[in-house]
Amino acid sequence: MDYQQLLLALLPDLLVVVALFAALGVDYSRLRGSRLAKRYQMACRISAAGLIAGLAVLMLQIAGTMTVMESTADGQLVLTRGTLTLKALLYAMGLGVLPLAKRDQVTPQVSEYFALLLLATLGMGFVVSSRNLLGAFVALELVSLSLYAMTVLNQAKRASAEAALKYLTFGAVASGFLLFGLSYLYGATGQLDLTQMTDLQHSPLLVLAYLLIFVGLGFKLALAPFHLWAPDVYQNAPTPVAGWIGSGSKIAAAALLVAMLQPVFTSPELKAELIPALAALAVASMVVGNLGALRQTNLKRLLAYSAIANAGYLLVGVVAFSAAGNTSVIFYILVYSLASLGAFGVVAVLTDTLGRDAEISDFNGCWKTTPGLAMAFLVFVLSLAGIPPLAGFLGKFYLFFAAIGAAPEAAAWYDGFYWLVAFALIMSVVSLYYYLRVLRAFLVAPADDEVPVKTGWAAGITLCVLAIAVLALGLWPEPLLTLLRH
Amino acid sequence: MTALLTIILSFIGALVCGLMPSSAHRRIRWVALAVAVAGLVVSMVCCVNYSEIEGGFNKDLINEQWIPSLKIHFIIGYDGISLPLLLVTGLVAVCGVLFSWTLESRANQFYAFYFALIGGVYGVFLSLDLFLLFVFYEIAVVPKYFLITIWGGARRQFAAMKLVLYSFGGSALVLLGMLAVFFLAHDPSGEALKTFNLLELQQGQVPAAAQQWIFPLIFVGFAIMAGMWPFHTWAPTGHVAAPTAASMLLAGVVMKLGAYGCLRVAVGLLPAGAQAWAPWVAVVALINIVYGALVALKQDDFKYVIGYSSVSHMGFVLLGIATLNLTGMTGAVLQMFSHGVIGALLFALVGTVIYTRTKTRMLDELHRLIDRMPGIAWVFIVAGLASMGLPGFSGFVSELYVLIGAWGTLSGWIVAGAGLGILATFGYTLVKIHEAFFRERKVPDAGQVETGYPEMTLPEKAGVIILLGASLLIGLCPWLLTDKISPSLKLLLERLPN
Repeated sequence: MDYQQLLLALLPDLLVVVALFAALGVDYSRLRGSRLAKRYQMACRISAAGLIAGLAVLMLQIAGTMTVMESTADGQLVLTRGTLTLKALLYAMGLGVLPLAKRDQVTPQVSEYFALLLLATLGMGFVVSSRNLLGAFVALELVSLSLYAMTVLNQAKRASAEAALKYLTFGAVASGFLLFGLSYLYGATGQLDLTQMTDLQHSPLLVLAYLLIFVGLGFKLALAPFHLWAPDVYQNAPTPVAGWIGSGSKIAAAALLVAMLQPVFTSPELKAELIPALAALAVASMVVGNLGALRQTNLKRLLAYSAIANAGYLLVGVVAFSAAGNTSVIFYILVYSLASLGAFGVVAVLTDTLGRDAEISDFNGCWKTTPGLAMAFLVFVLSLAGIPPLAGFLGKFYLFFAAIGAAPEAAAWYDGFYWLVAFALIMSVVSLYYYLRVLRAFLVAPADDEVPVKTGWAAGITLCVLAIAVLALGLWPEPLLTLLRH
Repeated sequence: MTALLTIILSFIGALVCGLMPSSAHRRIRWVALAVAVAGLVVSMVCCVNYSEIEGGFNKDLINEQWIPSLKIHFIIGYDGISLPLLLVTGLVAVCGVLFSWTLESRANQFYAFYFALIGGVYGVFLSLDLFLLFVFYEIAVVPKYFLITIWGGARRQFAAMKLVLYSFGGSALVLLGMLAVFFLAHDPSGEALKTFNLLELQQGQVPAAAQQWIFPLIFVGFAIMAGMWPFHTWAPTGHVAAPTAASMLLAGVVMKLGAYGCLRVAVGLLPAGAQAWAPWVAVVALINIVYGALVALKQDDFKYVIGYSSVSHMGFVLLGIATLNLTGMTGAVLQMFSHGVIGALLFALVGTVIYTRTKTRMLDELHRLIDRMPGIAWVFIVAGLASMGLPGFSGFVSELYVLIGAWGTLSGWIVAGAGLGILATFGYTLVKIHEAFFRERKVPDAGQVETGYPEMTLPEKAGVIILLGASLLIGLCPWLLTDKISPSLKLLLERLPN
């Protein structure tokens, strides 16, 4: 292996690692004893510089100006345009989390906070670009461990510790299931490289392997019935962290799920065995998520249930087992994450100014006090609800399109996926009830008290860019779709 | 190309109004009026430029790739079926602004939502790609929610939520049917089309067996928005809770979106399904007509009366579609125009002109308005008679067309039932006019009863003249529209299997 090539291929990640150590080093040495605000500012700047540098290199790699090898031994790294695009988007979104983290100064452990954020981002980048069972697993664990630690950063809040413990215990068990599944998969195929697993023969061992993998990844995606951690973690983690759990880690897990299922495409018997399991998970998640969200009064919990429901929709694209299905799943999780991160961003900005716990009624009258934030929130929530012309609609539409397209000639109602799509559509109608209830607080209700809110330029730009991205991807998705297909 | 301007202007208008400060409500209403008038003028230009001889789509339609990965095109064009609906959208949009002339609270946001809704409506009538049509159809839903919850009257939260959930329930059905059409449609040689392009889909066909189950999905999905029984209940509550301009749009154009979808997509793409299901559609349409009229007769709230009369009138649209012949369907399109104009006028009169003066809409609290606001009362009586189907107004022509069409293809008892419905319409119109304008109040309030009310303001007069004038013009010269509608419908009907 040519080390120079490897170095070039991993340059974006290396830059982020350098920034990570720089942030830690500067905070421990020069800024020891400085004011909290100053330390936050410095850590945020260094981390941002690292991510921007990494992003710039990634752009060059995607554009083809800087050629990198397509893959390394055993599929440890697969750097196609598709995976590089995903990685770049993850870095960009990670960059968006930084100003939010800087705003709510929840912890005196400043550089650790940012280092963990960078580590999680780094891990996500590896998850989406690895096609190796072990490599992907290790990267996914890097993400998870960073997120567990970040959840507990707010030491002033007891509920935060409880949520983190819950997250950790559930997560550890799920990782066990995932690793178990991966080992069976390896045992059945003798391969670690997912791209090399061609013509899988149907065997009970393989089915078991995949079911165990579904449990493990189902936890990361917050699919029912493995969702129990989600509401508590979303509510009690620092809001920017919750936003990152709800967006970046979802992209990583969904990309991994798609990569894991790729070998199954050529085996109809195996597909037929796995489809009922996936469909059941989809239905359960849509029911639990949408019905659970109906009675939430806390906005962050509501967003957690909405995440569960959205993970359910996602599986509708997965069961298609087609190239279109794969693209639709990745596209959907991307636009979902953009909107979800945006929504959490708005919540973060508003709650740390008001010092409240994000009850829905806390946001009454935002149209008057902060019209810009209310407008952005409208865009994010309508995208989550799947209203055109926003990207969330197109994402959902593409999922359903792929599912129906997998078997359009249905002789009976249970043939093909008409029933599943119909179910998902009904559930989307249900979801409108709670999304509109939230929007009613933001846009309709009169203001209780008018506390001036300062958004800050960095957070303002982040939210603005996210809102524009959500709108632009709804109106003009073709370039991204083309990139993702590679 | 010109037609696209209606959509662009509306969305730009929404943006401009939304960005103006709410304190500038006087300036905002002039901007709003200008945008609405511009939309109307563009629709009229489209109407004048359209040559009806061959009945196809306009020559300069826009046909571009939009999302090639999903075979989605951006096609904007119109034919004789869309034209009357463009016109009615323009008319109602202008009059909606005129009847909201005194609105002050959050005026900037009001017109932002108002024009977003109107842009969506124009978009639906102009889209010739299924996906694009669906996108505009959904864009039109969300602004309605905010128009009702922010500026509406009593029970607005409930009414707005109900309206939105019904709308999206309908569009869920449509979406499923639409995807089925995409994957199942094939061209005459049997090769799969895989397109959302309506122009291509009209050349091909969907297997007859599949049409049997896709047709009800798409038809019912759209017809929910058209107020079809038993899914009509959103309409009266929504109309009543909405602010005047919004209820004018709801009754005037939004219900037409549904009917238009039934005609263009359900019947246009699934002729065999339409033929099989037409008797059932006719039965439901009949229930709409008779039930709507009878319920209207029992209402005490003036706005509910108009709300149920809308349900009844939309029944004629559905009945016209169910005839599946040229006369009946021409009547259906004409009825969409006619009810759009008259329904909007009635809501404007009840919701703004009468309500701002009397502060009540309950019929038993109104006392001999004929003496206290004679001008307004006479305008309302004329409008009521126009709605009832008085010869000389558009309603008469369209209902006549529908009935003649129904006589041709549907069974006699349905026509007889529709006749009964018309009698019921006479009944509630006359009874309610009597109750509102000529009846002595049961418990007279000595202080206020004898005072008169101010006459109509200038914007109100302008609005009344525009809407009543349009109805009268089409009532006297129906060929202005039927000459455009019929050739296009003929093309659509040629696809029916015999």
